[in-house]
Amino acid sequence: MPLLEIRNVSKRFGGLLAVNNVSFSIAEAETTFIVGPNGAGKTTLFNLITGVIHPDSGSIYFQGQEITHLSPDRAARRGIGRTFQIVKPLRNLTVLENVMLGAFQHTSSLAKASEESKKVLQFLGMSHVMHLPCLGMPLPMLKRLEIARALATRPKLILLDEVVAGLPTAEALRLAALLKRLPEWGISSIGGVEHVMQVVMRTADRVVVLDHGTLIAEGKPQEVVRLPQVIEAYLGPKYKELGL
Amino acid sequence: MNFYALLQAVLNGILTGALYGLIAMGMALIFGVMRIVNFTHGAFLMLGMYVTYVLFQAAGMNPYVGFIGAGLFLFLFGWLTYAGLLRPIRGQADFMVILLTMGLSLVLIDAVQLIFGADYHQINIALLSKNVRLGPQISLNAPWLVSFALALLLAFALYFFVMHTMFGRAARAIAQNRYSAPLMGINVNRVQGVTFGIGAAAAGIAGGLLLPVFYLFPEVGNQFRLKSFVMVVLGGMGSIQGAALAGLVLGVVESLTSLYWGNEWALAVDFAIFILVLSLKPNGIFGSQRV
Amino acid sequence: MKRWQLILAGIIFVVAVFLPLVIRTDYTLQVLFRVFLFAALGLAWNLVGGYTGQLSLGHAAYFGVGAYGLALFAKLGVNPWVALAIAVILALVSAAVIGSVSFRLRGPYFALCTIAFAEVVRLIVKNLPNVTGGDVGVQVPLLFPTSTIRSFYYAALGLTMIAFGIIIWTERSRFGYYLMAIREDEETALSVGINTPRYKLLALLISAAITAVGGALYASLFLYIVPDQVIAMEISTEIAIVAMLGGAGTALGPIVGSGILETAAELFKNIFQEAHLLIYGALVILVVLFLPEGIVGTLSRKLHFFGKAPTAPLTASPLPGAKEEAERVSAE
Repeated sequence: MPLLEIRNVSKRFGGLLAVNNVSFSIAEAETTFIVGPNGAGKTTLFNLITGVIHPDSGSIYFQGQEITHLSPDRAARRGIGRTFQIVKPLRNLTVLENVMLGAFQHTSSLAKASEESKKVLQFLGMSHVMHLPCLGMPLPMLKRLEIARALATRPKLILLDEVVAGLPTAEALRLAALLKRLPEWGISSIGGVEHVMQVVMRTADRVVVLDHGTLIAEGKPQEVVRLPQVIEAYLGPKYKELGL
Repeated sequence: MNFYALLQAVLNGILTGALYGLIAMGMALIFGVMRIVNFTHGAFLMLGMYVTYVLFQAAGMNPYVGFIGAGLFLFLFGWLTYAGLLRPIRGQADFMVILLTMGLSLVLIDAVQLIFGADYHQINIALLSKNVRLGPQISLNAPWLVSFALALLLAFALYFFVMHTMFGRAARAIAQNRYSAPLMGINVNRVQGVTFGIGAAAAGIAGGLLLPVFYLFPEVGNQFRLKSFVMVVLGGMGSIQGAALAGLVLGVVESLTSLYWGNEWALAVDFAIFILVLSLKPNGIFGSQRV
Repeated sequence: MKRWQLILAGIIFVVAVFLPLVIRTDYTLQVLFRVFLFAALGLAWNLVGGYTGQLSLGHAAYFGVGAYGLALFAKLGVNPWVALAIAVILALVSAAVIGSVSFRLRGPYFALCTIAFAEVVRLIVKNLPNVTGGDVGVQVPLLFPTSTIRSFYYAALGLTMIAFGIIIWTERSRFGYYLMAIREDEETALSVGINTPRYKLLALLISAAITAVGGALYASLFLYIVPDQVIAMEISTEIAIVAMLGGAGTALGPIVGSGILETAAELFKNIFQEAHLLIYGALVILVVLFLPEGIVGTLSRKLHFFGKAPTAPLTASPLPGAKEEAERVSAE
């Protein structure tokens, strides 16, 4: 049984069809990337999966159960974690406290939550900034914080929206290496990236390509990247015959 | 119930409604462009009323001329209020703006009370006793008709101004997207200051128009303060057409409520509608958050 | 939570317990009653306002329900303390209703909605003279057999200590963290599985209960209440300002805020008489302009205790939420 199943999901915003009859599935312990040019519908899809908005048509299944119309907090409690494209640290809390919020999903004890969170922060190499307030932290740290907070909820699936956007390449690759290890803990991940293809190629087990809300390709990274429709979507029709 | 009593109530409601609408338009303008919840609006109305009163007492100026003075005074006062008090707290939560405008309201009311005393005042002009009869059953008070006409005129003028002038366009641009507006060469601060001034002036003018038919006392503005919020929300926060229409609707609703249930329930009904709309259609009956 | 706040509060409470032995005049005790009453009310408001970020301007509704609940049920022959308990239950019911509608709203809509509800309560009470006595008012029973102001003073002090205790406990519990998460960013709170509507409501219920008790105390002291006195918007704003002046989001804040505001208001009334509202309004303006984090909040930051700025949400406009972001991004 697939971990996540998207069946014929569509979403319209006024005149704009943001997601157009998209279907695909994610297996357990798998790293998938949704790629596509800006405006392709990746964030909308993420919002649909996590319950921030609901599809106009189609359905979404998680671990065999329908989650199409769940509220975001219930989706989170089912085991879907997410990070946001624009980082949202809780500015007035420390790094550790931010992560503890995620850990609180499984315990009400401050001590236990703190312990759990410290482990997660260690995994992400953030132990040295644990007790600092988030206010004024550099972006790479905040991105890691987003991931840490989501991981502390012990999700089965984590959605990482543009998780490497805005990061210097070295940092992006480091992060990608970390993400590659998630399946060891049984966590599947879906990343949404626009153009940092190096990360995608190295980390993804599978790639799904969106263009203007429509799924135009899916499969192994190396194969998908060569498909003419994918090249056309990214670079324009002139380059269709390129083939890499 | 008597059909004519009903009709009379509806007509009276429309007459008051136009004035309500003018007040609400001022507030909608302010909220639409600056997202400021202006709790001083009632005090602005009160100030306008007093200015018109002073002009009447000191210079014998008919309030239907004097309201212009009220408008000008409040325009300046509004602009200064924005520049001096509201702009410094721009980045803060709406709650702070509410508190500040509440504080300002208190200051203004008490200041007026210190200067003019807490007594009720009333003016007497020839027009007051005149009534227009529409058939044997319906009688409309002449001052209300005049203020209705003027309010309607000003409302259209304001609408035109916002929709069809460069300034109005600039204001609407800011309302839609405060961050890109400056990128198009709009002097956001100046536009916002002027907008606030216009909003305040609308309240002040309404006050002036109310002078012939209302008692004048320092707290006269309070009843309108909350009512104008109801109208602005009903009309869709920031939509001045919506606010104007909501004003008319509210005027009629209040009038009918007074007829069937008594005066004291009118305000309660206002709030009940308010809550109903907020819970069912948070964007207001007439739509979304644009001027 | 900073040590110094706890210590200072402890000192204040200890001193307060012994104050009546030193202070003889009823008048001063009455002022102090007001100080601690509004401290308790401010602390209660703070739970929903400062910690959860839901800045209500309609708490007078619960205050009034407490006052009128006590008065009306006692009139029916019920023991005053039982009447008080019923009043609290009524306040909880009101809070559930008000919260379920208001909490779905954001920003100014929320504040306006709370105001509207409080006004509806006031108007209903005003316009049903057969039930509530209307504008004429209604008598309130004495909660304490001896009608000395001292009993009321201790009751208010006790309420303050209870409220303070609740706040301290909240700060150190998961509940408190969840509330602060909701305040900082509700979308993020949802994304980590926090059932935000439930916690907002819980905070409001606690807040309403304490406020109602305060209302009942106040009513019992005056022995006679009218709607415009106990369900007035002035009370709602006074409660909010007490918390804000002291420092919303801090435990000690409302106590300090009340101490300063209530004594200052009393002084203004005596010295300025006519202009006391003007001074009060000017004070509000000055606080908003120059002390948005309140006294304790500003001190907290200045003393650099781990940089927690509890009232930052009041001083920063919220970022667009995920939903708005979803629509904005999709429209690109």
